[in-house]
Amino acid sequence: MGDVSQLNEYEYIEGKERKSLLSKSLRPFALIFSSRTATVGFAIVSFWIIVSVFAPFLTPYSPTYQDWKAPNQGPSWNHPLGTDELGRDLWARLIYGARIVLVIFPVSSGLWLPGGTALWGVAMALLVGSTLGLISGYKGGWIDEIVMRLLDAMISIPVILLYLLLVAALGASAVNVVIAIAIVGAPGIARLVRGLTLDIKTRDYIRAAETRGESSLYIMFVEILPNTKGPIIIDAMLRVGYAVFAMGTLGFLGLGLPPPSPDWGSMVAKGREFILAGAPWAALWPSVAIASLVVGLNLLADGLREELTRYQ
Amino acid sequence: MSSQKINEQVLELKNQMDKGLLSRREFLRYAALLGVSLPVALRMVGLVASPKLQAAPVRRGGTIKVSSQVHKITHPAQISWLAPSNQCRHIAEYLTFTDSNNITHPYLLKNWEVSDDLKTWTLNLRQGIKFNNGDELTADDVVFTMNQWLNKDVGSSMLGLMSGYLDPTGIEKVSKYQIRLHLKRPEIAVPEHLFHYPAMILNHRTFEGDFIKKPHGTGPFVLAEYREGERCVLKARKDYWRKGSDGSPLPYLDGIEFLDMGAEMAPHIGALKTGEIHVIEASDMGGIDLYLSFKNDPNVTVHAVATAQTRVLRMRVDRKPWDDNRVRKALKLCQNREKILALAYYKQGLLGQDFHVYPKHPEYCPKPVPKYDPEKARQLLKEAGYPNGIEVNLAVGSDWADVVRYAEILKEDAAPAGFRINIQTMPASQYWEKWTEVDLGITPWTHRPLGTMVLNLAYVADDQGKPVPWNETRWVDKEFCDLVTQANGILNVEERRKVFCKIEDIMVERGPIGISYWRNTWLPARKVVQNITAHPTGYLVLTETWIAKKS
Repeated sequence: MGDVSQLNEYEYIEGKERKSLLSKSLRPFALIFSSRTATVGFAIVSFWIIVSVFAPFLTPYSPTYQDWKAPNQGPSWNHPLGTDELGRDLWARLIYGARIVLVIFPVSSGLWLPGGTALWGVAMALLVGSTLGLISGYKGGWIDEIVMRLLDAMISIPVILLYLLLVAALGASAVNVVIAIAIVGAPGIARLVRGLTLDIKTRDYIRAAETRGESSLYIMFVEILPNTKGPIIIDAMLRVGYAVFAMGTLGFLGLGLPPPSPDWGSMVAKGREFILAGAPWAALWPSVAIASLVVGLNLLADGLREELTRYQ
Repeated sequence: MSSQKINEQVLELKNQMDKGLLSRREFLRYAALLGVSLPVALRMVGLVASPKLQAAPVRRGGTIKVSSQVHKITHPAQISWLAPSNQCRHIAEYLTFTDSNNITHPYLLKNWEVSDDLKTWTLNLRQGIKFNNGDELTADDVVFTMNQWLNKDVGSSMLGLMSGYLDPTGIEKVSKYQIRLHLKRPEIAVPEHLFHYPAMILNHRTFEGDFIKKPHGTGPFVLAEYREGERCVLKARKDYWRKGSDGSPLPYLDGIEFLDMGAEMAPHIGALKTGEIHVIEASDMGGIDLYLSFKNDPNVTVHAVATAQTRVLRMRVDRKPWDDNRVRKALKLCQNREKILALAYYKQGLLGQDFHVYPKHPEYCPKPVPKYDPEKARQLLKEAGYPNGIEVNLAVGSDWADVVRYAEILKEDAAPAGFRINIQTMPASQYWEKWTEVDLGITPWTHRPLGTMVLNLAYVADDQGKPVPWNETRWVDKEFCDLVTQANGILNVEERRKVFCKIEDIMVERGPIGISYWRNTWLPARKVVQNITAHPTGYLVLTETWIAKKS
């Protein structure tokens, strides 16, 4: 009997833990759905994530297959969004293009990493920017001066120009686009993290950690960094939007992913040649895709920020 | 005709024409090259020169606005783009003029005479022509300019074109208005070479290396403003040496404004559609969008012309893996030419055959168009030591939309053969910085009226056996060079064609290039622009153009 009651007690505790885990993992969704703005943004972003993940099942065409008898076609049953100047299916190119942005990072012709190019770019920017911001904010003094003045100098360069300089110097490839996004994004993140660090380092638990004799690295990455995650996540979400836009800009200028990659920016650039000739589709759909994804990410970030502010 | 000394070769040409071996047009072209004036040549073919018919009366005045690109210009002999030459040609002029039918006429020259062995050319200048600073044009200016072309330090493309048959020591000033060229070997295309776009005649008294600082030429316009990347403004001269159909000096226009609208065609097209500009000078960047955008526009006339402009898939034969002819042949076999022409250029051109001779060149020797054969290409790669295929980089300028499409189609179609092509796009200006250096690339080549012209420019060696400056592939083949030299001195078209048959075979068999298509080009102009024609070389000449009143 006692065994049974003991077992029930275990089950009760385990169930409670499971419930708390479930509620923990659902909490962000509850936060999103409590804001109408965030919900709309989430729906748009989810759409692109879902179509990019399931792209091979959503179209019979390869994004590079050229039907040379059917260039610049309008929407039809065979090609729901039409075809581009080489007879490639625009829907296939659009959703495979979304994969590159959100799901897959093509390091080289034979090597792909999970996580989209834009996400990798922002992740790298977060890594570099957070580290610099933490060091600068926590250490202060001449280290802070040097790091921040250097980052200020970088921020003073117009963003598009900086992208162009970096990619023109490094060459057009997915890896170099990630590097460019990281370099352009890092100063902003560093400033944000530094500001948060300056506030957090005055708290009692930081003093306590210092009194315990914890190392600076431990304090920065274990005590301070986790407490900056809220604003960083919101900022990162906005930065993914910027990164998508940057990828589009670079692709449009011929400095994005090399052809025949279904890069949205280069699709717009190539398609625009035929707008005045009466075939606007190839430029229209990728423009809509870029705009919708960027707007979706911004709405999501804005909604979350509002909700978090209210919650706090 | 009786007063003009007729070269024996002309009589031989007439004989060929009478036997049906030469068309009237080809006869006119070669007779003109040999110094026979056009009216005389026309009478020899049984035609009478008629005065130019004009649809509307000439109207003087107005400034024509041309969308273009305004590049940096220093030395006219160094010009390697069409756009700057189209601006400069209205300020400085050429000794000859090749019209849109590929017939070459004397221009600053009054006439020329050539010896029977085609090795001595006597050039007679027109008298009384003045530069826009008041200096008279004399033989000294011609000798000075020709020495600039042949100066290795200047780096002109004229060097590649002429150095094979002419040394600076072969240029003789006979009198104030006469120059004699003593060639190292026979050459028929001298007058056409004198109209090559960097061949503008400079003022030897004032030219110091920068034409924009002292823009002294004999042309109908003077330079009023030149801002690189922005605009080039020209104003009409009042004392130009040529007269218009109304008896007053040309030009009919008061001025020309070349506006730099960038390398993208959309702003150019939009500006012409709305009437902000009169003409699009598309030169190197014009593509199929010009034709597609204006073919049904009621306010615009699309002047069309078939040309020898092409996109050359070129391989550096001094670098691996392109030093192996099997690899070169394999890549050439991967060109699905019909598909490339259909998708890259919307069927607006002719199919190419991997030799740089245009089907409408007089000496063209008909050859079958090679078939797309990835299986054979794979076999060749295997034999060359690449059983698992090969990864190569292909450099292309992103400003040339049809080049990028060509590259994308090639990548797709070469994959079954084992080629893994990484397309490296870059702005066109960046491509031009290294066009002779990249291992594998697609280079735009402009139209040239004779088959030998481009062969001398890009596929032969100089006297020391080194590739000429524009030999971007570094391909030097002794037998080929000898045949080109031989062809340069053959006037008889049938004989010349026999040599070209061998030349073409060599290029197909072991040459360094692939050519998939030849491009038509277009010169779109508002309907008010009168007396303007498209030139196969992309040359824009507005000396006799006028703007009609709007109806």
